[in-house]
Amino acid sequence: MANFPLNIDVLVVAALAPILGVVAFWFLQLFFIETQKRMLSRLRHRHEAFCRFTNFIGILFQTMCQALGYTVTRSGIAAFQVSVSYGTVEPKKEKKGVFEWVARSFLLFGPFFIPAGLVLLVSYFVIGRGFVFPSPVQYTFVESLTGFLVSLSTFANEFLEFLVNIDLFNPVHVGFLLVLLFFGLGIRPSYIGQERKEKIDILYDLIHIKDHLVEKPLYILVIILLLYVFYMSSLFLNPVVYIGLFTIFGWMSLTAIIAIFLTFPVLLLIRATDEIRPHWKIIPFLTVVVSYVLGRMFFIYFPTKQVEGVSLLVMLLSTVLITIFLIKYKRTNRFKTATKMKHMRVADGKKRTSKK
Amino acid sequence: MVKKELLKNEQIERVLSPHPLSFMKLQTLCIFVIVWGIVVWWLTEFSEYASMFSGNIWYPLILWGLVLLLIGVIASLLAIQWTIFFLYLGVFASALGLIFWQHWENDITLFIFIYSIAVSIVGFLIVELYRRSHKYIITNLRIIFKGGIFTKRERTIRYDKIADIDAKQGVLGQIFAFGTIIPVSQSGFGLGSDKTMAAGGVEVGTKKARFFGFAGGGKEVQTPIARSYYELHGVYPYKDVKQLVENLVQSHVPTQYQKEQIEFQKQQVDIQTQMRDLLHKQVSDKPQKKAVRQQIEEEEEEEPEEEVVEEEKVNRKKTAVPEEAFQPEQVDVQQQMKELLKKQKTARVTQPPEEEVEEEDIEEGEENKST
Repeated sequence: MANFPLNIDVLVVAALAPILGVVAFWFLQLFFIETQKRMLSRLRHRHEAFCRFTNFIGILFQTMCQALGYTVTRSGIAAFQVSVSYGTVEPKKEKKGVFEWVARSFLLFGPFFIPAGLVLLVSYFVIGRGFVFPSPVQYTFVESLTGFLVSLSTFANEFLEFLVNIDLFNPVHVGFLLVLLFFGLGIRPSYIGQERKEKIDILYDLIHIKDHLVEKPLYILVIILLLYVFYMSSLFLNPVVYIGLFTIFGWMSLTAIIAIFLTFPVLLLIRATDEIRPHWKIIPFLTVVVSYVLGRMFFIYFPTKQVEGVSLLVMLLSTVLITIFLIKYKRTNRFKTATKMKHMRVADGKKRTSKK
Repeated sequence: MVKKELLKNEQIERVLSPHPLSFMKLQTLCIFVIVWGIVVWWLTEFSEYASMFSGNIWYPLILWGLVLLLIGVIASLLAIQWTIFFLYLGVFASALGLIFWQHWENDITLFIFIYSIAVSIVGFLIVELYRRSHKYIITNLRIIFKGGIFTKRERTIRYDKIADIDAKQGVLGQIFAFGTIIPVSQSGFGLGSDKTMAAGGVEVGTKKARFFGFAGGGKEVQTPIARSYYELHGVYPYKDVKQLVENLVQSHVPTQYQKEQIEFQKQQVDIQTQMRDLLHKQVSDKPQKKAVRQQIEEEEEEEPEEEVVEEEKVNRKKTAVPEEAFQPEQVDVQQQMKELLKKQKTARVTQPPEEEVEEEDIEEGEENKST
């Protein structure tokens, strides 16, 4: 049993610290998801297949979460179907009450954490560092929150250090990067629709979650009570367990944020190459591979420290420079490709006008 | 397609070929070879496990070959196609042959790396060549399927012979908007079967007495399946092509109303044919009547002295002429004709109401025109 002063801070307020931390990181995750969704929706009219692919990943995870919800509540799964535009899971037994609420919770919260949890599991085996649980000296609100944040910052440091020094000549590292990008494109609960603003509003998900929570206040109260009981028992047995549990959720959010953040350069590159003439737009993508290989080969003959990191930097810089160069000198006909120039039929079906 | 190949009044609606990613199953085989080659090269040269392979120069080749063949067996079992295993066996045997022939025993890891890339590139090229050999021509009358690199195959199916359309779209197809459409003909072309079989044997006994037992079972499921050159394999854009084919099939299949109309027209034609035949029969009987009259007149002219004697006979014959002109057979014909006319009238009465409406409309239209 740990030594700590028995006051209101330790007994009540400190329990909220890791919860607040997780909620804060979850909101940050939501912000990143929203940014990614907006970027994808801008790409949709030109890269329909790419958006369908990201939709498929998102829907796949969402459907899996829903199926997991039905499995956990022992409702069973009667039908499971996933396509690029929708996913269907039907339970064998229609359970009401708390089971229905839990299954719905999996559907609403699962897509934020379950794919991220899978990436976290992979990163544990690939990176293997930074998974340190906080151990505050005194279990006050500030101490708990600081411990939570320190644990997350340690994890983030190790993760980013790995990414900066990633060895793209190592198949395991390449595989992990692909997993990160793959999951990063799918850690979101809603899909990118045909219309620009269809289902991409941040409020869309939040309203659903709020309605779900407000719908059954008694369940929320029970969950809070259970958490408090868990906190009190861990406080007297092993206080690290309580904070540790929420730290895992924090790591999941952080992993999701990093994965989503990694997709931004890819999306930016795709968007930038749209400005380049058709036959030239392949060059930036080739530069990514060629510059890295050349960089690594150069450093074989001129060895230096942090070869992987420097090669990665060379790759990024050369790609950016060549893309800018191509946009400047091999720019496509903007007049032709601008979205506004897309013709649309007016109601009478004969007249054609440009979008305004 | 050469215009000579087209039938009379035939027009090309669309010329299609499979999507580049539609043969992903074959491309995956090449991707695996290239990835595994790179992994083996990295594993035996640069990884922390490299020392494990330094004991014997053949270890990397054994590892590479074993995994390649194992994956070949698994893929063959899953796809129920043993060509995959034999393909990988061929790749492995070729590698072994090249090493012995060129004495590259000391550079096996580098050889595996380069060989895997080379084999994969050749594989990709063959798949691409195979894909490009396919051509599907959708005309307003039929679908023409063409394929084959060396042996040219062609299948033609008319829309009125299509009994069923099977359409499938995988995940890649959904993402890149391509899919496969199998038109199943009335003769069953386009239908195949998935066969699975399990068997096991037990051998019990000593050197002298042995007992051998064998048990097996199989399952066959009828499913729409066809070679890629006998189906619209991985066509793009899937939804449009499917819609086009379905519309063309629909336009060649008569509806219930059209079927009734055709049946009615057939009845009409039959009745008219029968009537024509009966009329022909009646007309052909008339000369016979004339011949009887001529014979009587001749007899009258030839035997004037027997006027008194034969007067009664002639009178009898004269009275008999009309009776003979309408022999019982002819009476039957006339009755049949009457019946047919009645049938025709009743058929007109029982015509579908739409036609009546149409006729009325036409009549009204004509009246309006006349006014």
